[in-house]
Amino acid sequence: MAGSALEVLRVLVVEDNKHMRSLLRSLLNSIGIREIHEAANGTVALDILREKPCDLVLSDLAMLPMDGIDFTRDVRRSPRSANPFVPVIMITGHTERHKVEAARDAGVTEFIAKPITAQGLFARIAEILERPRAFVRCESYFGPDRRRKAQENYTGPWRRHGDRYDLQV
Amino acid sequence: MRKKQVIPPDDYPQMVSKSDAAKMARTLRSPEAAARGAHAIRSHGPKLRLAVHDYVRELENAAGDLRLVFEKAHELRGFAETAGLRATGRIAGGLCRYFDEMENLRAQPDKAVIALHVSALARAARAKDEAGRMSDAVVKELAALVAHKLAEIKAAP
Repeated sequence: MAGSALEVLRVLVVEDNKHMRSLLRSLLNSIGIREIHEAANGTVALDILREKPCDLVLSDLAMLPMDGIDFTRDVRRSPRSANPFVPVIMITGHTERHKVEAARDAGVTEFIAKPITAQGLFARIAEILERPRAFVRCESYFGPDRRRKAQENYTGPWRRHGDRYDLQV
Repeated sequence: MRKKQVIPPDDYPQMVSKSDAAKMARTLRSPEAAARGAHAIRSHGPKLRLAVHDYVRELENAAGDLRLVFEKAHELRGFAETAGLRATGRIAGGLCRYFDEMENLRAQPDKAVIALHVSALARAARAKDEAGRMSDAVVKELAALVAHKLAEIKAAP
């Protein structure tokens, strides 16, 4: 896709499996993205992010020594983080509820369950580009607003555990 | 007490301007992009299948280590189907659901159920007609076995 509007994007791929890294690179290349950095785990990814500005991160969840959740938490909260607002898409075969919630609470922007499809990945990137999320900072969290739909006029009862804590920290 | 701070998108650096973002999103949602992406996945099929075989060997070697079997099954679930190994992915998915259900029920997974899944998964991944009718039958039988085992646990006093 020569001359693609997307060729200005810089992407970091964090994935411990070299074949999956290579596939993600090819998928990004197929839509015209050229500047792609690769890391095999969260520790290496943090080093790369400090040296090379990136517009988007695609990260696996299960990696050693640092997994995708700790990596995302560090990106969002570390005083040394180069870009705490960078969108992070987590791509993983781990779809257990507690892992998805942990990823969300670490500050992941979008979550994609493997198997990967081109349409699924591209739709998530398009969503991030078109509808960037507000960020929330409180004592216990920094990251994209975990509420997808804000209801400013909502007057009913609080339904989520921790709602009141979120609002008055 | 400190109120939470909400930072709207316009108040933090965006990767591109709104007009460029709209243009990029149109490109990403185009049939041409989907076709190119699908081709990229297909062309990686052979290499991904080699990686699936590596995972299957690791899974077989993990016998007895439930934590490791759990991890490898989850890796395989997504990986196999991306590699075009549909039956392998479905069997791995069934094993993952079994682990998840057992965790929800706070029950210990049955080693025989796990061994049957691992054996079927390894055979499917190495079969020439991976997604053939036999594989479909195996997937159904394993799902029935898991449903039966879960029903037994739920019915227990």
